[in-house]
Amino acid sequence: MKQNTKGKAFGITAYIVILMLPIYWLLNMSFKTTEETLGKMTFFPENFTFANYATIFSDPSWFMGYINSMTYVGMNMVITLVVALPAAYAFSRYKFVGDKHLFFWLLSNRMAPPAVFLLPFFQLYSSIGLFDTHVAVALAHCLFNVPLAVWILEGFISGVPKEYDEMAYIDGYSFPKFFLKIFIPMIRSGIGVAAFFAFMFSWVELLLARTLTSVDAQPIGAIMTRTVSASGIDWGVLAAAGCLTILPGVLVVWFVRNHVATGFALGRV
Amino acid sequence: MFKNNKYPRAILLSTAVGAASMGLSLQAYADQYSDMAEKWVSEEFQDSTLTKEEQLKEMAWFTQAAEQFRGMEINVVSETLATHEYESNVLAEAFEDITGIKVNHNLIGEGDVIEKLQTQMQSGRNIFDGYINDSDLIGTHYRYGKVMPISDMIEGEAKDLTLPTLDLEDFIGLSFTTAPDGKVYQLPTQQFANLYWFRADWFERPELKEQFKELYGYDLGVPVNWSAYEDIAEFFTDHVKNLDGKRVYGHMDYGKKDPSLGWRFTDAWFSMAGGGDKGIPNGLPVDEWGVRVNECNPVGSSMSRGGATNAPAAVYATTKYVEWMNKYAPPEAPGLTFGEAGPVPAQGQIAQQIFWYTAFTASMTKEGLPVVNDDGTPKWRMAPSPRGPYWEEGMKLGYQDAGSWTFMKSTPKERRLAAWLYGQFTVAKTVSLKKTLVGLTPIRESDINSQQMTDAAPKLGGLVEFYRSPARVQWTPTGTNIPDYPKLAQLWWQYIAQAASGEATPQEALDGLAEAQDKVMMRLERASVMDQCGPKLNEPRDPSYWLAQDGAPKPKMANEKPQGETVVYEELLKTWEQAQ
Repeated sequence: MKQNTKGKAFGITAYIVILMLPIYWLLNMSFKTTEETLGKMTFFPENFTFANYATIFSDPSWFMGYINSMTYVGMNMVITLVVALPAAYAFSRYKFVGDKHLFFWLLSNRMAPPAVFLLPFFQLYSSIGLFDTHVAVALAHCLFNVPLAVWILEGFISGVPKEYDEMAYIDGYSFPKFFLKIFIPMIRSGIGVAAFFAFMFSWVELLLARTLTSVDAQPIGAIMTRTVSASGIDWGVLAAAGCLTILPGVLVVWFVRNHVATGFALGRV
Repeated sequence: MFKNNKYPRAILLSTAVGAASMGLSLQAYADQYSDMAEKWVSEEFQDSTLTKEEQLKEMAWFTQAAEQFRGMEINVVSETLATHEYESNVLAEAFEDITGIKVNHNLIGEGDVIEKLQTQMQSGRNIFDGYINDSDLIGTHYRYGKVMPISDMIEGEAKDLTLPTLDLEDFIGLSFTTAPDGKVYQLPTQQFANLYWFRADWFERPELKEQFKELYGYDLGVPVNWSAYEDIAEFFTDHVKNLDGKRVYGHMDYGKKDPSLGWRFTDAWFSMAGGGDKGIPNGLPVDEWGVRVNECNPVGSSMSRGGATNAPAAVYATTKYVEWMNKYAPPEAPGLTFGEAGPVPAQGQIAQQIFWYTAFTASMTKEGLPVVNDDGTPKWRMAPSPRGPYWEEGMKLGYQDAGSWTFMKSTPKERRLAAWLYGQFTVAKTVSLKKTLVGLTPIRESDINSQQMTDAAPKLGGLVEFYRSPARVQWTPTGTNIPDYPKLAQLWWQYIAQAASGEATPQEALDGLAEAQDKVMMRLERASVMDQCGPKLNEPRDPSYWLAQDGAPKPKMANEKPQGETVVYEELLKTWEQAQ
């Protein structure tokens, strides 16, 4: 019995070490000079330096990339939830012609690769003057995030008995009041999970984000390409930029850590 | 009555006051801009081939020419290189101070620049107001008709907005950006070459010289031909092996299946072996990619259509690339990409490298590196690349990258003109010498011949000597035979990787590549998307028909390894000096 626990502990430790190694290596590189990265193999920076981070934080054309990315990701999360919540409620509570088909069709949007929508989006946004704006990217990402959010939220909403709706009605709540005051708090973990998935997609999606922007809304992923040039790769700055892109993700995961598993089951647990 | 009199007077008075204050503020503006010009010229642009008065005159011209665009904000884009970083961080700010036009000079990876450019070309929607795009795309630009030729701008819409002291003749890369129609399409702003790199200090060691002569029967020196390069590679990897307690190698290269593997070849590797026809900047009718043109229409790249992409010279070049990498380079080389392999020679284990970009000069002269002396001078030198057995006098001998200002017809006229002013500013004689000293990518004859470059020369390992030499003209970018650079260039790495990994023989890989290129050109022909000089493929016929004719494709040589030939580096420099 004891042996077993020991073996388990060892297995888990090895697993975590292997998983964390690339991230440690990234972090390690971000504190080295590029010469050291290229020159020899060191497990800890010999000449510990913050210069790579200083490059990013002192140059607006660098750090604005993070602000741009966070802006359109934030916008996208808000739009996604505002649109998906009522939709999911409707799918869960009402029966209407073609509801099942519509529900499935929604998810099938998620199955098309983003590249398919690239040129139509580009043409559309250029014509109406949305090119190179945050909202353009946020809207484009909604195409993929809204269906997923509707699916997740529908599962959570269906888990709430319809009797709550009726009781609130009898108690004299108006529908909006019921929805905001009683219903949303009941499915808040579902909302958290839906927001998390919206974040995950939008934060790492690069193809649409960089094609629909040029200067003012340029995502950090596009800016990171500048470390690669005909005179070599600036490994230090690239690693530092990479570490910084992990941070927002870590924060979001921290907030929804207890609900992610339920989210994967789309609330049907 | 009374009232009527008063109004005109009030109006007159206010007009007069307004006019006076406007005049005053205009005066103030002018002063503000000329003060800034004075500040920038005396604090940043001290190194210039112009006198200070001439510089200030040039700057005053910019202030005055930009008057109609004041307050405007424009976006331009380029890849990342020290030169473009200087433009983006320093020149863009100076330009705004002096002209009142705000420039966002965006830096992104080269692949992304091309992607943006293609999106704008295909959609006709303006993304950037100006692009710095390699002149390798000259064949693409003049065929599609989406780029506004610089010549047309200078004669037409930008007649009054062209710097009188621009001095186009002074640009060393102008022939690269000139199309067969005689028009200049792009304006070079940055150039670097691909040369031979070697450890001059090791080549000078008496015991190594002696050993080499004993083994090969001639002197160790800068290889003139590929036979000598091969001998020296073998010498260091297999005979010298260890130097000062370190394992050393006579060759360095890269071979990972990765897009960067394509550059290794499209950047004129076949021209060094002698593929293609005679002609500077590019061979005609067959260029170094092996694409044949008839007049200006590409007619094929397979030997069966008169091309030379799979001809014996190309096969020889590819065979040697694979063979040398496997035999003489460090064992990790076949698994590296361009970006990973580039810095390796700086670590002090490589004796020579046949394919080396001068863009690495600055990073290889940093103090503390194993290849730099204590006084900051490099232990290495660059020299002209050796030539393969198929090479003949009158052919190009290597690659030069010429990042050039490119303006699109789909950009609104006003924005294009403002970007044109900024483009000229970044290459104007007031700033270009300083920019050259920072980025080491010379574009002007006058800068190259300046005293400042002479002073910098000892620390640059032969860069200045090369750019001053008459040999320079043999290093040129991809030429006008290539009808669509992005579409064709992306084919290369996939086929070359087959040869590099041993999955296919060089002949098989190049047959596949030549066929793939012909297919792309066939599609372009069918779609007839090009304004002029589009592909018109030849009917395939037996390759022997083309091999029997003069020029490329050339038949296989019986002896592809003639006697090795070397030259002493100092002698080489002397012949250059005399030729000047």
